Amino acid sequence: MNKLLFSLLILLLATGCTERINVNLDNSYVRLVVDGGITNDSMQQSVILSKSASYFYNQPPPMVSHAIVTLTDGSFLDTLKEDLPNNPGIYGLAKDFRGVIGKTYSLDIKLPEVIGNNAEYTSSCKIMKVARLDSIQTEFNPDLGKNGHWLIKIYAQEPGDEMNFYLLKYYRNGVLMSDSIQKWSTSDDKYFNGSYIRGLTAFYINNSRTWETLHPGDTVMVQMSGITKEYYDFIQQVQQAGYQIPFFSGPPANVEGNISNGGIGFFTAYSNSFAKLIIPKK
Amino acid sequence: MKYFTSSLFLFILLMALPGYALPDNPKKHTISGKVTDKSDGESLVGATVFIKELKTGTTSDQYGRFSLTLPEGQYTIMFSFIGYTSSVQEISLDKDFTLKIELSTEQKELQEVVVKSDRYDQNVVKPEMSVFKMDIHTIQKIPALMGEVDVIKAIQLLPGVQSVSEGSSGYSVRGGAPDQNLILLDEATVYNASHLMGFFSVFNNDAVKDVKLYKGDIPANYGGRLASVLDVRMDEGDSKGFEVNGGIGIIASRLTIEGPIKKERSSFIVSGRRTYADLFLPLSSNKALQNNHLYFYDLNAKINYVINDNNTVFLSGYFGRDVFSNQFAKMRWGNGTGTFRWNHVFSKKLFFNFTTVYSDYRYLLGTPSGSSSSFEWNANLRDLGMKGDFSWYLNTNNTLHFGGAVTYHMINPGTASGIGSETVYSSVQVPKNYSLESGIYATNEQKIGPHFIATYGIRLSLFQSLGPGTVYHYTPNHIVIDSTVYKPWIVYNTYGGIEPRIGLLYDFNGKSSVKASYARTYQYLQLAQNSSAGTPLDIWFPASPNIKPQIGDQVALGYFRNFRHNTIETSVEVYYKWMQNVIDFKNFAQLLLVDTLEGQVRTGRGYSYGIEFLVRLNEKIVSGWVSYTYSRSFRMIPDIEPNPYPAPYDKPNNISVVLNFQLAKRWSISANWVYATGAPVTFPTGRATIAGKVIPIYSGRNAYRYQDYHRLDLAVTFSSKQKPNRKFSWDLNFSVYNAYNRHNTWSINFVQDNIDPNITYAEKIYLFGIIPSVTFNFHFKHHE
Repeated sequence: MNKLLFSLLILLLATGCTERINVNLDNSYVRLVVDGGITNDSMQQSVILSKSASYFYNQPPPMVSHAIVTLTDGSFLDTLKEDLPNNPGIYGLAKDFRGVIGKTYSLDIKLPEVIGNNAEYTSSCKIMKVARLDSIQTEFNPDLGKNGHWLIKIYAQEPGDEMNFYLLKYYRNGVLMSDSIQKWSTSDDKYFNGSYIRGLTAFYINNSRTWETLHPGDTVMVQMSGITKEYYDFIQQVQQAGYQIPFFSGPPANVEGNISNGGIGFFTAYSNSFAKLIIPKK
Repeated sequence: MKYFTSSLFLFILLMALPGYALPDNPKKHTISGKVTDKSDGESLVGATVFIKELKTGTTSDQYGRFSLTLPEGQYTIMFSFIGYTSSVQEISLDKDFTLKIELSTEQKELQEVVVKSDRYDQNVVKPEMSVFKMDIHTIQKIPALMGEVDVIKAIQLLPGVQSVSEGSSGYSVRGGAPDQNLILLDEATVYNASHLMGFFSVFNNDAVKDVKLYKGDIPANYGGRLASVLDVRMDEGDSKGFEVNGGIGIIASRLTIEGPIKKERSSFIVSGRRTYADLFLPLSSNKALQNNHLYFYDLNAKINYVINDNNTVFLSGYFGRDVFSNQFAKMRWGNGTGTFRWNHVFSKKLFFNFTTVYSDYRYLLGTPSGSSSSFEWNANLRDLGMKGDFSWYLNTNNTLHFGGAVTYHMINPGTASGIGSETVYSSVQVPKNYSLESGIYATNEQKIGPHFIATYGIRLSLFQSLGPGTVYHYTPNHIVIDSTVYKPWIVYNTYGGIEPRIGLLYDFNGKSSVKASYARTYQYLQLAQNSSAGTPLDIWFPASPNIKPQIGDQVALGYFRNFRHNTIETSVEVYYKWMQNVIDFKNFAQLLLVDTLEGQVRTGRGYSYGIEFLVRLNEKIVSGWVSYTYSRSFRMIPDIEPNPYPAPYDKPNNISVVLNFQLAKRWSISANWVYATGAPVTFPTGRATIAGKVIPIYSGRNAYRYQDYHRLDLAVTFSSKQKPNRKFSWDLNFSVYNAYNRHNTWSINFVQDNIDPNITYAEKIYLFGIIPSVTFNFHFKHHE
């Protein structure tokens, strides 16, 4: 909620102009980057291993192949298989694997060669439960912005027992539109702990962005995930990374993930809840 | 502690006494009185009183009063003030005298008559250093952004002072943080001096009389901040006749009315200002902008009443608000201050001031009601304080100042709650906190022989946390274990500080001098802010069981010399400053609406040093100053960075040129040019790709710098003809901000390309290109 207001203020007050500039940057050592996780359903069961590069590398990230990646929950569960030769660096679990709510999963990575002084990395994450998404609604607001905005609102009973954190993504006609972290929505339950969430706006979709806006007749689905506080903080940090607005931003800092030995990124585990509607034709 | 306190005061008194006790002193008498402006009856602060025969003198205090005790004899006393014609009085001192001195504004033709060589010069012989005083006329000549001349923007042009960010009202003094500056308006603390995100300050020129900045050598009567004191005094109002002053600019207008309530006894001043940039928004073709409101207004008022020769009271107040709203958000913030002051003259040698102040800073942030996301968030900080200050002009060689102050701080860091029936938000209250800050001080200014003056004093400060309050307990790793709740009015934590303040002056026959000073300062209240420019969403938080008070020690040494009959003042000062318990915040700190703010604070030490060269001109044609500063400032906070790192205000090379040329009677030109090394910044040294986004990997904090900052501003003022007894006058001011259109960096973002997400580039944001503006000022005066 603060983020929304800040972004509005920035729009209005940072009347400044921008220009591309050249900056000379040093290079630091190469680090392992872990990105991915598991869920309690079939949504995601894979991780991507890559390497960091110099800031202006300007190519797809160098992938890390031939690692031995295993999943445990106290005892050995499975080895993740690298999708070679099609998708080097992407390691997946068996198709029928399902995480269990309340369990903590660990990911162990053994690299074929040392990256950032280490060849072994570990990480763990617990699958939190998620509030059941009752329903969603869409609304077109013509007054927001030049061509109006589509709003997607969610309805759910917040359990209220402890601090919960949510991650929201939306799909249009079965296609994930929240296709990069920048388009994900997050929320904690600080302001509605234990109460009924009656129409919280989860997404503002700019109607000018024709490739992602909604139309009557579209099927809209929202995925709500119960995530850990650490993953919630990580998502927020990644979303802000790189941008400095002197009014609001603290000093730049490295995002804090959950990979051991100086690895970057996050191995996540979460549970999902879905709600769907077809936007009525007028 | 108690014993120590009383013995200390006794010591200072004893030190001061010898001058009194000498047996064969000739008979002595006291000359006291007040120096005022002849045209409107306002007191002149810091006017010089010079005894020609003794080559000694004094200056008038903040209320224009002075007192001098001299042996019997014939004296020629000269009263002078910059911009005013000096007044010379021949006095046969055989009894005590009370003088009412009225100085009139300098007539250009008369200027040559004044014998300047006799002027008692404060730069050289006044026992204070690291101080810069400006009257409002000096500030008004400085070219300004949008033509709106500003006190804080003028302060930022002084040696040793750095703006924290382009356009911001925040400033760093000698490497300190912006919240280490005490800003006072008629003695009331101003907690947030910004309007419009800092592009303007809360001080309305038409209501301000003068400002004084202490960068070090902070007198013992001030306390509570580490780096500096900015003392802003409001105009008292014309006690002789009515005046209407105003200005019309491109974004704001001002109007001030002042006059006598009872002639030469009491006066009032009321001043108002409002910006109107948003009045044009409905004309905008951009639909989203049409319903926006973005403006500020402020009001200053003061009543001054001279009850009799021995008693004067005044009541002054300030109220200002910024308003911003559009269809999805609203925001309001501002300060209110109130001061009641009673000046009492106990005797010709003992003056007393009693002050009660109230200060309030608050903000509201919210969304319109009637939707599921409607909420409102309120926060405020209030101060209620009392002060008593005595000035005792004991004898020729000793002037004692002593007194005490107590302030009750009430802080509500935030109450957020949903509004309306549709809202999904419940309410959140961050625990409020209460504290009592008090201090007593005594200081003596002692002349020892013809060339040496020592000023020595001490301030004892005390800070008590009062219930109701909630204190969280943390592990060494800053994780909350549990909390303790305290009942109302229980003192649950106490800190105390002993703050010596020492100044020494050696004067080489009035032309040049060497000064040295040492000051220790304590700070018990600080701002939770980790952005560089700052927002109105200020959260001040006090010292507590988890947060120790900040302590600063500063030593300074300076050489002061005047040239050309004191019309050119020069100085060189070096300083070194140590700071303990300075604060910073952990990475990705969440400072708003959190109970456990203290768990995110990281503390350590800091140090800064520098050398400041200043040439100040007060010639008939050219006035202003040129300064060069070399300074460094570092922080040592191991939880942030293992090694010392440059403070955000570490800009080693700094040049300010601020000049005004009176070309002809009706024409004047002003120019300022500022140059500063680029501010330190943290840049990426690598990148990683996470969920489709390229994120930067950073190395050491503040290891890089922005490009150097420099800017030229120009202004031309054309005035109406000056004729005596003319009732109406005006001037027209054309100004250009950033005259050569330099794109100074405000921030640099690292951006991922929209089309090819593998490509990243650096993008600079700059706030202002070249900005011309015009302001029309008018002045109406009716004197019978």
